[in-house]
Amino acid sequence: MSDVVIVEELVKRYGDVEAVRGISFGIRKGEVFGLLGPNGAGKTTTIHVIATLLRPTAGSVLVAGHDVVKEAAEVRKRIGIVFQDPSLDWALTAWENMYIHGLLYGLSGEGLNSRIREVLEFVELWEHANRLVRYFSGGMRRRLEVARALLHSPELLILDEPTIGLDPHTRARIWDYIREVRKREGMTILLTTHYMDEAEELCDRIAIMDHGKIIAEGTADELKSLVGSDVIIARFDRPACFQSGPVKECRELPDGRVEFVVENAAKALPQLFEMAREAGLRIIEVSYRRPTLNEVFLHLTGRELRDAPAEGPRPFAMMGRRR
Amino acid sequence: MGFAKAFGVMVYRQLKRFVKARGRLIMTFVQPLIWIFFFGVGMGSVFSFSNPVAESFIKQMFGGLDYMTYLTTGVVGMTVFLGSFISGITVLWDKQFGFLKETLVAPAPRSAVILGRAFGDTLVVLLQATIIALVAKAVAPSINLLGLPGALLYGFILGMGLTSAGIVISLRMTTPESFQVVMNFVMMPLMFLSGVFYPLDRLPEWAKAIATANPLTYAVDGVRYWLTGVSMHDPLTDLAVLIGISAVFIALAVYEFSKATIE
Ligand SMILES: Nc1ncnc2c1ncn2[C@@H]1O[C@H](COP(=O)(O)OP(=O)(O)OP(=O)(O)O)[C@@H](O)[C@H]1O
Ligand SMILES: [Mg+2]
Repeated sequence: MSDVVIVEELVKRYGDVEAVRGISFGIRKGEVFGLLGPNGAGKTTTIHVIATLLRPTAGSVLVAGHDVVKEAAEVRKRIGIVFQDPSLDWALTAWENMYIHGLLYGLSGEGLNSRIREVLEFVELWEHANRLVRYFSGGMRRRLEVARALLHSPELLILDEPTIGLDPHTRARIWDYIREVRKREGMTILLTTHYMDEAEELCDRIAIMDHGKIIAEGTADELKSLVGSDVIIARFDRPACFQSGPVKECRELPDGRVEFVVENAAKALPQLFEMAREAGLRIIEVSYRRPTLNEVFLHLTGRELRDAPAEGPRPFAMMGRRR
Repeated sequence: MGFAKAFGVMVYRQLKRFVKARGRLIMTFVQPLIWIFFFGVGMGSVFSFSNPVAESFIKQMFGGLDYMTYLTTGVVGMTVFLGSFISGITVLWDKQFGFLKETLVAPAPRSAVILGRAFGDTLVVLLQATIIALVAKAVAPSINLLGLPGALLYGFILGMGLTSAGIVISLRMTTPESFQVVMNFVMMPLMFLSGVFYPLDRLPEWAKAIATANPLTYAVDGVRYWLTGVSMHDPLTDLAVLIGISAVFIALAVYEFSKATIE
């Protein structure tokens, strides 16, 4: 079975900014594939190319065997997308938003009406169908966008940061919808996120993106195995690294702390304290974790995913013309 | 296949939005009424004389019409001109509220989406023009309302063209401020150099040149012909020129929209 999405050597440049710098990946039918990365990594740019809204600078993207540039209409038919930024018509009701979407995707009549009801019930918005979107809460709008993306039963569902800015309760609800859709409709899903827990919770495979490149790809477990078993992070009175005894790998982090990769932190910690004492180091702080995707990111880039520096303000995002 | 559906649904959307946007609804009616009222009362009093010689001289200047009739028929055309251009510009709001992305990822033919949109907006503007024509009849009884369908045909062609022009500008616009610039430096001069408020034949040559390239000139002339029987050009010439200018704008809008990305 060939992949639903095939991205090859994709490059996207905005003027001087190279947002995506030669990435390749494939998404298998029926899987949930995650692009995980900090702000400005190039996730949205990648998604917009896949969704035919941006022209790639170089490289190629196929969706269900169709080229996103040459056969844009074929690709558009097959995808449903929830954008990172809102894209609803606020002056209309939830139902009207759905109805317009349906006709733009070639549905109509009784089939459309019953499908609208079905998806609005699915995201628990049916009783609000006739309210103006303007009066919806952020979470309701997000759910409505998910419903709209599902309306035409796409082969590929694309979710760009589906839970950004939502409270934990609503987040959990959106996660439930995603799991449910996958189970019920066997839809292939591509999602981007900068939340490690979200990627870990939902995705079969994850590509970690940073500065326009994919720096690692695999299942959550495979990615974690890049780090080793456990990670001890310590701060001494002066930076120091030692690589003996239980320590498989050691390196200094930019913030002055030291990362030790060990087989089993519970056993290694007493030995590490001993080694520090012998080296005449004073331990200021120490913590250990089972590796999470954050450790993977830290390991690969030397930065923490959760506090990777945010990019400066975006230019007033505007539509332009292809050249 | 999807062309008719996409066209129809965009008409539906524009009409729905119009009905729901009370403020816009009210403003579009009130503004031309203000023009008729203040311009009409002011200029009407300047141009009305008890002396029959002066009176007939003035009438001759306005092609045999009294000023109120001249002005109000012009305002019908002007309503379409401004109203449809501003409708086209609302693509800018769709851009900012993100709805434009929804139309850009849809498989529906882009030409259907944009033409449906322009058509829906033009229908709204024609409704306004009709109401203005009825008000005009109240203050200028010599207006012939039987000519209204003919007048609305000119309004329709102008409306499709100007909505398209607004769409092209909003697709190319990088800041909302450019809208003000276009309004002040393009739309306002065109409004005054079109024969809405005064005849064009005594204007200086440069102003005449602008008026000749101005689609509003032909729409106003055609509308005035149908509502009063008086016109500067042959109404068929008006129609032909208007179709030509509008076709260019419509083609541009379809082209720009089919090429649009979210860069
Ligand atoms: N329209 C644009 N014009 C110029 N530069 C852009 C544009 N859109 C994005 N960029 C730049 O491209 C880079 C990647 O942006 P992108 O939105 O793809 O990142 P992201 O991973 O989605 O980030 P976030 O988590 O903030 O959504 C950033 O440096 C951004 O500033
Ligand atoms: Mg993004």
